[in-house]
Amino acid sequence: MTAWLGRRVEGLPVAAIVVLFAALALYPLLTALPFWRHIVIMSMLYGAMGVAWNILGGLAGQVSFGHGLYFGIGAYTAAYCYKAFGLAPLLSVPIAIAISTLAAVLIGLPTFRLRGHYFVLASVFIMEGIYVVVSNWDQLGAAIGLEYPVYRAQGFLDALWHGQFPGKLPYYYGALGLFVLALVAFRVIQRSPFGMFLVAIREEQDAALSLGVDVARYKLYALIVSAAITTLCGTFYAQYVLYVEPMSTVSLVVSLEICFIAILGGIGTLWGPALGAFVIVPLTELLRAYLSGRIALDMSALSGGGLMAWLEYYARGGGGNLDILAYGLVIILIARFQPAGVLGFIRRID
Amino acid sequence: MTGPLLEIAGLSKRFGGVYANRDVSFAVARGEIVGLIGPNGAGKTTLFNLVTGFIRPDSGLVRFAGAEVTGMRADRLCHLGVARTFQILKPFPRLTAEENVMIGALARGGGMRRARESARRCLALVGLDHKREVQARGLSTGQRKRLEMARALATSPQLLLLDEITGGVDQPSIPGLIALVGRLRDEGVTLLVIEHNMRVIMGLADRVVFLHLGAKLAEGRPQEIAAHPDVVALYLGRRDGGH
Repeated sequence: MTAWLGRRVEGLPVAAIVVLFAALALYPLLTALPFWRHIVIMSMLYGAMGVAWNILGGLAGQVSFGHGLYFGIGAYTAAYCYKAFGLAPLLSVPIAIAISTLAAVLIGLPTFRLRGHYFVLASVFIMEGIYVVVSNWDQLGAAIGLEYPVYRAQGFLDALWHGQFPGKLPYYYGALGLFVLALVAFRVIQRSPFGMFLVAIREEQDAALSLGVDVARYKLYALIVSAAITTLCGTFYAQYVLYVEPMSTVSLVVSLEICFIAILGGIGTLWGPALGAFVIVPLTELLRAYLSGRIALDMSALSGGGLMAWLEYYARGGGGNLDILAYGLVIILIARFQPAGVLGFIRRID
Repeated sequence: MTGPLLEIAGLSKRFGGVYANRDVSFAVARGEIVGLIGPNGAGKTTLFNLVTGFIRPDSGLVRFAGAEVTGMRADRLCHLGVARTFQILKPFPRLTAEENVMIGALARGGGMRRARESARRCLALVGLDHKREVQARGLSTGQRKRLEMARALATSPQLLLLDEITGGVDQPSIPGLIALVGRLRDEGVTLLVIEHNMRVIMGLADRVVFLHLGAKLAEGRPQEIAAHPDVVALYLGRRDGGH
């Protein structure tokens, strides 16, 4: 009767999955400190995006360095619609997904028929282009971004309607919901004919084509699904921080973070990106909290003083961006010693 | 239905200044096994790529089952009933043999369960049922050739193009592969086969098309082709002192 607990879902026994997610669900009982809740919220949010990215990057083998675009579409659509029309964020979700689908089609349609890395290049350049556009678009607050007017909600439903909750707890469970949604979507796709086609495309595109798989069409479907989940995460993010600006949404930094989470966690696997997020996000958040944020890198310390002056400057606790340096170091170390990703440390993937 | 299953008329393809295929015409009737032979660089694989939609011809026509399909994409042709194997084998390396074959079955519609059943049937037909759970990259060259045949077969083709049945396979495996091609014909599949091994193709094909430098040099029954002076000269060297 309890045999199903011993069944494995991609190597992880169902019993372990139940325990892990129960722990996630109960975690807020452990600490009321906003910072510790925030770290797990961000881990689950980025975990959801890593898993969504993995549908396209891991299953279909189409690497996107531009998923920040879809994240930004979700965030900006919600913020703009709320500010301009007073539209409830929940209702702006379908609009955001429609826009992200359109963007996916515009990028995927011309590039997925082509061979090689046209899609990768297109994904980067289009997102960078959009970054510049958004940074100069007055209606979207240009480089400064859009700030939500604070709303004092009366009760849960009112808060849900306006997408603003006073505490972190509702956001915590919202992020958990997104995380589970992304994992379930990945798993369902992975075990469907659609997922089989994606893997076939990744493994040997010509063979897939010769067997009747409409390669370009399925790549596009994968991008649309992956983008839609990322868009949903973007809307959630906007409601969580109540402030949307280009650098933390439609930027290359965000895009790379999403794909690093998937690649370093274990590309193409169900649990890899989920695990990757729980390694990388806490790491960046902690590094940011303890290393950076003191003072931004002051180039004047470099000029004239030379290396020693620069190091001294850091030693005195000046200098910022050390978090990004440390982050890069971790990426290099994982790539060097465990190319299969963090998941590879736990079980051997071959 | 009457008329040939596959009809190629005046097919040409140039890469830069070089003709890979030049004005090639021939037909394949239903139920036939037609062999395509010729020296290296004769344009055999290019012809396969033209017929299966991997490259588009510069001129000429391809007709399949009476309909013109020139330049049609490979996946659409597959849905019409044209399947192929590759000279440089292209298995899905990290999928199991069964999953490899399932892709072919799935692309023609039907759910996972039916695809799995169909895959098992096709694997049994090519004699690979004992390797079902093995990843394709763990199979030998001969086994991977069989896998590609099973995979193509799972798409329920009317016409199957085999690019090199015995190339790169150890001697003892060759008779089994030849017998397998015969079984495929018994399944009702029409076959167009590239083969380097003359003895193999002579025993197998109903008719043989001989390509040289992209053009059709001769066509006929295997015995006729084997006795054709140009073929003899190219395969065995000239006896008249030409070279």
